[in-house]
Amino acid sequence: MNKRYLILAILAVAVGAGILFMPETDRDKEMKPEQLLIAIDDPSRFLTTDLITDRLVKNDPSLLLIDVRTAEQFKEFSVPGSVNIPLDSLLTTSSIGIMSNKDIDKVFCSNSELTADQAWILAKRQGIETIFVMQGGVNKWFDDIVKVEEPSPTEPSEAIALYRFRKAASQHFFGTPEIKSVVQPLPKKSVTVHKAPAGATSGGGC
Amino acid sequence: MTGPLIPMEIIPEAWNNVIALLLGMGFGFVLEASGFSSSRKIMGTFFGYDFVVLRVFFTAAITAMSGIIYFDFMGWMDASMLYINPYYVTSAIAGGVIMGFGFALGGFCPGTSFCGVAIGKFDAMFFSAGLFLGILLFSEMYPLFAGIYNSENLGDIKIYEMLGMKRNLFAFLLIVAAVGMFYGAAFVEKKVTKVEY
Repeated sequence: MNKRYLILAILAVAVGAGILFMPETDRDKEMKPEQLLIAIDDPSRFLTTDLITDRLVKNDPSLLLIDVRTAEQFKEFSVPGSVNIPLDSLLTTSSIGIMSNKDIDKVFCSNSELTADQAWILAKRQGIETIFVMQGGVNKWFDDIVKVEEPSPTEPSEAIALYRFRKAASQHFFGTPEIKSVVQPLPKKSVTVHKAPAGATSGGGC
Repeated sequence: MTGPLIPMEIIPEAWNNVIALLLGMGFGFVLEASGFSSSRKIMGTFFGYDFVVLRVFFTAAITAMSGIIYFDFMGWMDASMLYINPYYVTSAIAGGVIMGFGFALGGFCPGTSFCGVAIGKFDAMFFSAGLFLGILLFSEMYPLFAGIYNSENLGDIKIYEMLGMKRNLFAFLLIVAAVGMFYGAAFVEKKVTKVEY
């Protein structure tokens, strides 16, 4: 046997032995329960419907609104701009691929917060970062944006500004409802013309 | 190119094809220099008179594997970020059978057939023509095969995960097995009468 081959074989086995005794790095990305508990306790994962709406209106590319309801429910009504990943396919390879971009804020929403929060915990344990839950869910979004109610004029100016924002957002998503003419036509008044009696002259003159 | 330089915008994307071309030329050069453009040399693996194919590919595999494991350990790269081809069981088996059959029949694998074409070998040209015919047929008949093609996806699973083995132990065993195989091949080569080609 050629001596060079023997040296190479010994070298290969030595490299292999090095690997064998190498401490294995911990690549398990699942969170430790203690860390998860701290994360669950932190309310900053909830984003308000107004905040999300603002970003949706601005077409924020760093926002991904993920609807975790079933496809039927998503078809029935969904927040414009949201994508549907049902809860049972949340951890498929393709879904994780979509969610693995750290630069994009992933916001889960469901009818209430319940399913969205389950999705949040599952994704968190999977090691996916920058994930949030839409506070109040699609129902609250519908109440806030679509069924927005006009505040009374005596409300504080913040409330009126918020109403205007929500109204504008609603129009952005669903178009303008038929506008009743704002300018009221003036009621017709009958003008009586008093005719001057014949023969009357304007007093004086030349 | 999936290397870190282009996605991280260290070098512009326009270099993609240039780098691919250079890598391809390097790969072709090494194949040709190792004698892989000769179908007889490749067939030696099946008849037992020349195991260079086995040696080259196993050396490449264990070198790359050791490199990845050491680099990962040193923190120079994150092995968990590597793209791993998803494992479609049925496709892999069917593809393996077809590829192996074509390999044994034609004496080339796709890469080496282009090496053969480059140095003007007729058999390699026929092989390459057949290769493109196969691609055309497959593409045209894709709807027929789509079901089989996409079935049984196990994702980016690794052998040691399937075996429930530690990664490093598996790597060590693979290296030992490769070295053992090299010696075994050398032993067989000695026993089998040399074929002149």
